[in-house]
Amino acid sequence: MATDRTMSTTWHGTLMEGSGTIHAAGSGAFGTLEVSWPSRAEAPNGKTSPEELLAAAHSACFAMALSHGLAQAGTPAASLDTSATVTFVPGTGITKVALTARGAVPGLDESGFVAAAEAAKAGCPVSKALAGGPELTLDAALA
Amino acid sequence: MPRIVREAAVSWEGNVARGTGAISAVSSGAFTQLPYTVAARIGIPEGKTSPEELLAAAHGGCFTMSLASELTQAGTPPERLEVRCVVTMDEIEGKGHQIVHSEIEAHGTVPGCDEATFAQAAEAADAGCPLSALIRASATVAVSATLS
Repeated sequence: MATDRTMSTTWHGTLMEGSGTIHAAGSGAFGTLEVSWPSRAEAPNGKTSPEELLAAAHSACFAMALSHGLAQAGTPAASLDTSATVTFVPGTGITKVALTARGAVPGLDESGFVAAAEAAKAGCPVSKALAGGPELTLDAALA
Repeated sequence: MPRIVREAAVSWEGNVARGTGAISAVSSGAFTQLPYTVAARIGIPEGKTSPEELLAAAHGGCFTMSLASELTQAGTPPERLEVRCVVTMDEIEGKGHQIVHSEIEAHGTVPGCDEATFAQAAEAADAGCPLSALIRASATVAVSATLS
C-alpha cells in the first residue's frame, strides 16, 4: 500500500534577500520552520534547510532499517543512535551523505553490527532513492 | 563554492514493530526529538513525522528556493510562491519499500511573468534543485506550475 506525505512551503521575494516558511507538518509533528538562503549556505542561526531535513529523513530511515535488520537476525538492539551529515556544494549538488551508527545490541559482536549497518545503509528507502548520486559513507560501532 | 554541511541525529529504543525513534536537527536546533514509529510511517501519522514527510519538506523547500532563483535570474523576481510537495513510498514486489514519486505543485504571484515563462522557470528549478536530482534513483518527479 502506498503512503503519501505532504509538505508545503511559501516563499517571498528573491532567493538572496527573500525568505520562506515550511508550513506545519501534515502529521502535526512540527510547526512552521523558517528558511532562507543565508541560513542555508552560511551559519544556520537556528533555521533549518533542505539539507538538514534530508539529513533528518536519512538518519531516521537508516535507524529504522538497522533496527529491523538486527531484529530479523535474532539480535534486536536495546538502543541505537544514528546520524546523517549532508554536504551540499552550490552549483554542483549534494555530494556526500555520511551516516554513523552506535548500538547497544546484546549478543552481537562488532563485525556483526557493522555488517547489519552496511545492509541498512544499502537497503533503506532513502538510500535507494539517492543510489548512484552522492558518496555514501558509514561509520558503525557497538556503543 | 564553499561546502555546506548539515547534520541530524536519531536515537531509537526498542524493536521495530513497537519501538520509537526521536529525530533532532543538530546543525540548526530548529527541531528536536521528533518522535516516529513504523506504524505511523506506513499508516496514519497520528502526530508523528516520518522520513518521507521530512523528505517532502526538504524537496519542497529546495525546489521553492530554486524557483525563486530562476525567476530572479529571468528578471521577474517572485512576490510570493506557494509550493506543495507530496512524497510517495510504496512496497515494490521483490524490492521492498521504495520512495517512488515526488509531486511538486507550484503557484506563484510574479509581476511581469506570463504562464509560459513561469512554467519554464519551474522546469529549470527542477533541473537545478539538488534534491530533485538526488531522489531520481528510485523516484519519479513531476512538476506542475501555474500563476495565482
